[in-house]
Amino acid sequence: MLQEADIGVGISGVEGMQAVMSSDYAIAQFRFLERLLLVHGHWCYRRISMMICYFFYKNLTFGFTLFWYEAYASFSGRPAYNDWYMSCYNVFFTSLPVIALGVFDQDVSARLCLKYPLLYQEGVQNILFSWPRILGWMSNGVLSAIIIFFFTTNSIFNQAFRKDGHAVDYEVLGVAMYSSVVWAVNCQMALSINYFTWIQHFFIWGSIALWYIFLVVYGSLPPTFSTTAYKVLVEACAPSILYWLTTLLVVVSTLLPYFLYRAFQTRFRPMYHDLIQRQRLEGSETEISSQTEVSSELPAQVEIKMQHLKANLRQRNQ
Amino acid sequence: MPGSDSTAHKSKSRRPKYSQFSQQELPAFKLILTPGYVISTFIVVGLIFVPIGLISLFASETVVEIVDRYDNECIPKDFRDNRVEFIKNKQTNKSCTRTFTVPKQMKSPIFIYYQLENFYQNHRRYVKSRSDKQLQSKKNAAHIRECKPMGETDNKDPIIPCGLIAWSLFNDTYGFSVKGKDLKVNKRDIAWGSDKNYKFGADVFPKNFQVGDVGGKSLNSSIPLSEQEDLIVWMRTAALSTFRKLYGKIEDDLQANDVITVVIENNYNTYDFKGTKSLVLSTTSWIGGKNDFLGVTFITIGGICLFLAITFILLYVIKPR
Repeated sequence: MLQEADIGVGISGVEGMQAVMSSDYAIAQFRFLERLLLVHGHWCYRRISMMICYFFYKNLTFGFTLFWYEAYASFSGRPAYNDWYMSCYNVFFTSLPVIALGVFDQDVSARLCLKYPLLYQEGVQNILFSWPRILGWMSNGVLSAIIIFFFTTNSIFNQAFRKDGHAVDYEVLGVAMYSSVVWAVNCQMALSINYFTWIQHFFIWGSIALWYIFLVVYGSLPPTFSTTAYKVLVEACAPSILYWLTTLLVVVSTLLPYFLYRAFQTRFRPMYHDLIQRQRLEGSETEISSQTEVSSELPAQVEIKMQHLKANLRQRNQ
Repeated sequence: MPGSDSTAHKSKSRRPKYSQFSQQELPAFKLILTPGYVISTFIVVGLIFVPIGLISLFASETVVEIVDRYDNECIPKDFRDNRVEFIKNKQTNKSCTRTFTVPKQMKSPIFIYYQLENFYQNHRRYVKSRSDKQLQSKKNAAHIRECKPMGETDNKDPIIPCGLIAWSLFNDTYGFSVKGKDLKVNKRDIAWGSDKNYKFGADVFPKNFQVGDVGGKSLNSSIPLSEQEDLIVWMRTAALSTFRKLYGKIEDDLQANDVITVVIENNYNTYDFKGTKSLVLSTTSWIGGKNDFLGVTFITIGGICLFLAITFILLYVIKPR
């Protein structure tokens, strides 16, 4: 019997359920194994690694804005946001898009996963969850927090933020920064995934809308309960054009570094799935109509990448 | 052959019902960062941001602002070495006269602010030291738990309004005159409507306020809290250690080169903790007060995006695939 394995797959059938009960995954017929590995294995690896990196990113973005604020509050422990905003951050405003990423995301369609089995090597060689990637996402989070905090506090500083002369106070700055954080992390999600069904749209834009709805509802509760959030959106922030302009500026500035990196990376240092996506996009008519052999159709760069992955594999097996 | 068990005896298929959702074949839009997409995104962002930046900068430039720091000059020369003693002494004359010239025409309403620096109104223990329940209604007068040590007098009588925030109420006053004629300062409608109508009760009157150690302004105990606008403005705590609070409005226009004389009662003690006090007169535009940062940053980001668009066009042209 097997003593050691990465994954155990059991096949249920006339010989009983013993294998199924002691396995990680169960399938009904042996021919399903190909699909399990090449399609679902690849998808699952990419989804989980992206989800973990993104989780670090969104919580760093949120937490570091709190940290920078403390430097300006003499480190006394006053949080930059109302308590309920912070409690609801990971539950309502940023959880659904991550679930959509972790459950539904597909970088390459099932048909192409089967067609290019070498894509599975991305998982075996742990390309999508390497330390440079993890640290890259984390530093993206820290950089986003810096941009969000300093741009917001410098735009909405101590001057009047509306035409009627009211000066900025703690509530307004908190709402402005938090809105920027929610927008930034959700739009970052929209930039990172490349597969948009109605579910992704609903979750991402819905989470942002939920934040404003929450502000209205929470702000209409009596002040003994809502304390600093009382009517803060409807009375103070929404009529202020400066608030909306600041949100726009901060969100775009926060996403710019990552967008630049992605644009550069997909064009000049594409990974295997980037090449396949591009090839599908450009040669989509010829691919579907002509069912010719894979290796003769691939452009030079895909060939080179495949050689590279094969060489890596050989090296690891030695 | 799909749909039937090859070895099963029953002919019924155990294949799960097909749905687009469970087979992960929902219609999807696949976003791929092609060169055209990238360049057009940068150009669109640049073309939106630069005009917004220019408009915001222009609006900020139309705001006329006069900032006058007076906490140093308003100490008489003999007391420059022991300011804290000067400010705490009840006998000294705290009046001080300042003059400044209006640089450009200021249209009404002109807003008067006092600006404090190095004053941490966002310190956690300071912010906690208030009782929202007590401020809201007369029946909660005894809710002073959060306000210690400024909760009650030595005779265990509750202070209304209790807490450090109320106790440290700013008490400098300003009197304005131009060309010998006094300018009327409107001190109504300087607080937020929601504060006046809901957070500060119309049946709550100050009691035992500023007896003993005086930290700031005293309140007229026959005016209910919902009309004590200075207190309401002060109790809406600031975000950072440099902040402005609305003092009042001048409803006349001021012409360019007018000389304004301000008589300041320099009562508030910021000398203990090296804080500064300044007087600010400012008009507003649709964007609020004077702050060039937003406009400049919009222009910068827009410019960077256009620059990146050009860079990418060059890169795609020079290094085609």
